[in-house]
Amino acid sequence: MTTMTLEDNAVLDPVMRDRVEQLQLRYIHAIDDGPLDDWPSCFTEKCLYLIQARDNADRGQELGVMRFITRAMLRDRATATQHAAVFAPRTIRHLLGRSLIDIIENGEIRARTNVAIYQTSPDGDTMLLVAAQYRDIIVEDGADLKFREKRVVYDTFRLPDSIVYPL
Amino acid sequence: MEGNSTPNSEDVFAGLEATRVPLKIYQDEAIYRRELENIFYGSTWNYVGLDCEIPDAGDYRRNFVGEREIIIFRKEDGLISAVEDRCAHRGAQLCQSLFGNTGNSVMCPYHQLTFDLDGNLLGMPYRRGIKGKGGLNEDFDMSAHALNRLKVEVVNGVIFASFDLNMIPFADYLGEKMMHYFTHVFDGKKLRVVGYQRQIIDCNWKLQMENLKDPYHAGILHLFLINFGFFRLDQKSACYIDDTKGHSVLMTERGSEEGEEDTGGVKVADPDFQLTDHTLVEPRKEFPDDVTLAIQTLFPSVIIQAQTNTLATRHVIPKGFGSHELVWTFFGFEDDDDGMVEARLRQANLMGAGGNVTLDDAEALEFSQRGLEGSPEDAAAVLEIGGKGAESNDHLVTESLIRGVYMRYRNLMGYEVVS
Repeated sequence: MTTMTLEDNAVLDPVMRDRVEQLQLRYIHAIDDGPLDDWPSCFTEKCLYLIQARDNADRGQELGVMRFITRAMLRDRATATQHAAVFAPRTIRHLLGRSLIDIIENGEIRARTNVAIYQTSPDGDTMLLVAAQYRDIIVEDGADLKFREKRVVYDTFRLPDSIVYPL
Repeated sequence: MEGNSTPNSEDVFAGLEATRVPLKIYQDEAIYRRELENIFYGSTWNYVGLDCEIPDAGDYRRNFVGEREIIIFRKEDGLISAVEDRCAHRGAQLCQSLFGNTGNSVMCPYHQLTFDLDGNLLGMPYRRGIKGKGGLNEDFDMSAHALNRLKVEVVNGVIFASFDLNMIPFADYLGEKMMHYFTHVFDGKKLRVVGYQRQIIDCNWKLQMENLKDPYHAGILHLFLINFGFFRLDQKSACYIDDTKGHSVLMTERGSEEGEEDTGGVKVADPDFQLTDHTLVEPRKEFPDDVTLAIQTLFPSVIIQAQTNTLATRHVIPKGFGSHELVWTFFGFEDDDDGMVEARLRQANLMGAGGNVTLDDAEALEFSQRGLEGSPEDAAAVLEIGGKGAESNDHLVTESLIRGVYMRYRNLMGYEVVS
């Protein structure tokens, strides 16, 4: 078992860091720019995708605005959002901070990334939808890195609007 | 007790039948203020939380009744009290966290006035001044400066509060029929919170309550339910209304539809669209009857949802006439096994602030508010589906529950009464 501690982070292979950040960018651009059908491909077949209010996370409550445990469930959500939901059109824009790689252990990369997510209405008004943090477990899956776990912990737990798209 | 409000010279309902609701009531500041006084701060029971949220002595939870902030406490003797979250001195907010523990007293952070958990003033710094100078006069009556108390009743684990200290018992407020459905979900078993969701929805609070009194929309708006065959207006279903017409319940039974589906002309978006992972909606049997959906609205401000295994209270907190906060408390029971906990978490994907089903509701309600704002003075909603009265029905193609709640509303607001 090879364990990389936080101190080793400074010498994290820059290629690996670049791959982690590419995965994050692929994820947000699937949501911001589409197609939304690309969003599930950022995940392993069995996974956890959890959009969790920070107050629930602090109490250890697993309830999610979305909570999926297979890639198939993510695909269903993407399809349902595009074909079986009624909502006003909107544009989503993610602004990411850089990923803090906490630890690499057993081939798993654990990373935290701050994110601000803005939403623009059909009339052109932009508001901050949530301030949040990604708490991810990333693994090698074939030739790619993928999320085996992505927890989107949002600070803005009194949400200013419905959550139509993944965060 | 009801209907004794002062006569209102500006009765927007004057001359209107039960089938008309003036759009002004969703966008008028004066009417909104009157609702807060006559309804939320009047003779009503308001949902404020669950017993299991404050299990230990000294635990508290902040919440709202109308726009007034309140705190509920678990006292040393195990009973629950409720006070307004406002210091008797100069009005400062006492507690800032949503949940916490404050021991056997609560202290205002501004000048350290201390109150017991029934709201009685216990003391303050420098009450007698310093070296005989300053402080309070001898004749200051500590007992006359308690926090503003609310009446509290805990019903099978659910906490209700009222600003009317002479409020009738909760069971009488609901009536026998509504108590029957209330105890269908809250049968006295110990509750356990699964988690919370909070969201602002920019529409008048009444539209939120009406939405759960409008079963007609469910088989039309919710494409997710329709596409996947989870909800059909031709399922065995019913809606019930109480004698006061303010409370109601609507329910369906799964697997009770007969023959070819009667879609009533609803546009089904995509018949080829199938779920690939059906575990999302697999139900587990938990109540003795076959009811799979039971949604109860208790006047004025709570919705109790039992949709397969997602149990939740939806607390409607008004925020001005054009907005409200919707607080979802998802719960289960203390004796839930792991499978049931997982089923509740999984099915919660359909409900809440991003639910496949309920995000349609929040959006449609905001469309309503945007549409109605700025309407002419005499504009009114037309509610003639399912007749003109406000009776219980053995079907869901009706607006009788909405007509009913406005009979109650007109009475409480001092407007012209109809029946």
